[in-house]
Amino acid sequence: MGTERFEQRAVISGVGQSAIGRQVDRSGFQLTLDAIVAAIDDAGLSIDDIDGLAMFPGGGKANLPGYASGNLYEVQDALRITTTWRQGQVEGMSLPFYGPAQAVATGEARHVVIWRTVKEGSAARHAGGRPAYGSIHPEAEGPLAWLLPVGALSPACQIAPFATRYMHEYGVTREQLAWIPVTQRAHAALNPAAVYREPLSVEDYLASRMISSPICLYDCDVPADGATAIVVSTVEAAADLRAPVRIEAMAGVIDGRPSWEQWEDMGRVGYATAAAMWGRTDLRPGDVDVAQLYDGFTIEAVWWLEAMGFCGTGEAGAFVEGGERISLGGELPLNTWGGQLSGGRLHAGFGHTAEAVRQLRGEAGERQVRGAEVAAVTNVGGYEAGAALLTRW
Amino acid sequence: MTAAVGIPPAVTEETEAFWSAAEQGRLVVERCEACGTESFPPRGMCPSCRGRSMAAAEITDRGRIYSFTINYQRWLPDLEVPFALVLVEFPEHPGVRVFGRIRGCAPEEVAIGDEVEVGFEPGPGGFAIPSFVAVEGAA
Ligand SMILES: [Zn+2]
Repeated sequence: MGTERFEQRAVISGVGQSAIGRQVDRSGFQLTLDAIVAAIDDAGLSIDDIDGLAMFPGGGKANLPGYASGNLYEVQDALRITTTWRQGQVEGMSLPFYGPAQAVATGEARHVVIWRTVKEGSAARHAGGRPAYGSIHPEAEGPLAWLLPVGALSPACQIAPFATRYMHEYGVTREQLAWIPVTQRAHAALNPAAVYREPLSVEDYLASRMISSPICLYDCDVPADGATAIVVSTVEAAADLRAPVRIEAMAGVIDGRPSWEQWEDMGRVGYATAAAMWGRTDLRPGDVDVAQLYDGFTIEAVWWLEAMGFCGTGEAGAFVEGGERISLGGELPLNTWGGQLSGGRLHAGFGHTAEAVRQLRGEAGERQVRGAEVAAVTNVGGYEAGAALLTRW
Repeated sequence: MTAAVGIPPAVTEETEAFWSAAEQGRLVVERCEACGTESFPPRGMCPSCRGRSMAAAEITDRGRIYSFTINYQRWLPDLEVPFALVLVEFPEHPGVRVFGRIRGCAPEEVAIGDEVEVGFEPGPGGFAIPSFVAVEGAA
């Protein structure tokens, strides 16, 4: 590669998580602190080393009960540190570590912690079911004004037409796509922190209730309580770190209309981001040992399998069918922590990033992919989109 | 007809024309006065020439279903399920796609490519929401 890539001046140095579950009876703020302390410890740093803070979402942005938690300034006050860089993100957060990597690459900070805390499991329980998106506001504003009035009241109904169109264009079936949640559940069985660990069969999947066709219950991620924190450090500090992981390449491109209902080609999502990311590395899809692909819904993992070139367009059904290729011993172990479908909706690529780091360090326990040297991480899809390769130090 | 359950829209300078026309059962989008490009939702800027003179233009011809979903989950109290949501495009109006409900057929009968007529029905907050009408016998 001729051009210098700023992301290579950054490393992911630590990951940490609070207790994770359908319901964790502690405040989001305490879960946040648990995750931050664990991540800093995991990096081999002390709290006083941290000089940058970032959170997703910032600004108290929330469209769902339990979606947002805490405040960056209160966290800084609790940690009692000095910061030279801060960021509260919604727009532009293509990947959790994107902004922090920019901060350490430019020297604005040396060690940045970013976190994501959810209390959506508790919120769903209090509401007697998964609540409507936007239901905490009396009126639907901005992009939601075209969704909530007509009854597209959940991300499930907003993303379902992508799955309908994709299956129509390429002849992919639910029987094929079932293997994504089924295989990920088998991975979750090996992850003590996963929310759902009991076996799931294709028959269970096909018998489950429909939420918003063709999305059924097991195509939806699991609302959870929990916090994930990630420490991003300058590569210059590598000698001070316990077990850093390299950021080989990353990109976040939005090339279509950034809107759930206006995205032009609903059969293809993420291609511009994936192409930009591959343009920043000499590695190829065949070099990837383990893939943590965003799976808020099954169809989102499908987008990334195809956009990243792990299989051809329209071929994901055949690729995942039977589950062998995406299992731990297969050519592309997928969402080895269970993903958001079984591990829990830790959201925005935070759970995916934490798992990629653990796999590359050889710290993934029973679900370890032997000899994992290159991990792919992706986030969301059409609206915001991010893709990265992380590599072993 | 009882009003469909949902969350009402916040009306803005950009969207006032759409919701007013909806009240009268008319679908209006934006048309650029300089180059004629149509677009939706209204932004006050032409996506083609970036001109700022956008006028309301009514669409009266049939649309085609680009994609759809049948919603079974009761996201709000009193939400009647199941119902179909359709994304409708208009062959004569490239750049316009509208999300709405559909009437005149069972939710399970909806299919990609089906023709629909423009329509509205009572929605939340006293607003009229897009509610396309299935065309009998259309393929
Ligand atoms: Zn124009």
